[in-house]
Amino acid sequence: MTKLVPMFISLLIWFVLWFYIIRLDRKLKDIEKNA
Amino acid sequence: MVWKIGLLLIFSWVIIGTWVFEPPMSSTFNPEIYRIFYYHVPVALVTFIAYALAMYQGLRYLSTKKLQYDSKSSIAALLGTIFCVLAMVSGSIFARFTWGVFWNWDPRETSIVVLLLIYLAYFSLRSAVSDPVKRANLSAVYSLLGFIAAVFTIFIWPRITPGLHPGAPGDSKIIVMSFNTLIVFLPALAAFIILFLWVYSLSVRVASLQKET
Repeated sequence: MTKLVPMFISLLIWFVLWFYIIRLDRKLKDIEKNA
Repeated sequence: MVWKIGLLLIFSWVIIGTWVFEPPMSSTFNPEIYRIFYYHVPVALVTFIAYALAMYQGLRYLSTKKLQYDSKSSIAALLGTIFCVLAMVSGSIFARFTWGVFWNWDPRETSIVVLLLIYLAYFSLRSAVSDPVKRANLSAVYSLLGFIAAVFTIFIWPRITPGLHPGAPGDSKIIVMSFNTLIVFLPALAAFIILFLWVYSLSVRVASLQKET
């Protein structure tokens, strides 16, 4: 448990960060298309 | 998109490997803290890569006089400074549980503070000059000098001054990485470099859009 809890919290943080950057990337592509 | 999913998987593997395998130095006093090694070392390496990129883009500006390279250089320097702070914070946590205190002015710790101050001065220099061409010229030359300072502070100073950090003179310990350590550490290096390049390219695109509008 002492290893699994920090592992899952770290994975969760990483997934959230990854989806956030992907969203930024897509938004940027849309703006570039419309510019 | 493939490499972005690849990054997601590689980083997830690094996180899982960090916790699943034995710590990199299992024979030491407090082995659990050595798991931070998988993050501290790659972040420090990316700092150096970012400053090298800042210098490269600065030199490109000097040879072409195109302001887009100045913008790229400043973005690389900014990201390098963010990674430098991350290396400093992770190193400080590492130090707390291996050397007993968060900060003890070891040559490695002192040199990273000096490096950070050099690049903070770079940003204050940029903000002090309003003329874009003059600012770009000064920044390009400064980024070259800053990179020379980075080589000295990261690779030379801590190796010629006695200290606690591995690699200091008199340190006879040879760090041999086991197979389990290598299969986490090498992907961690790759993941941090790819993440840096991704954020860098996003920032460059944002900067070019801001110029257009």
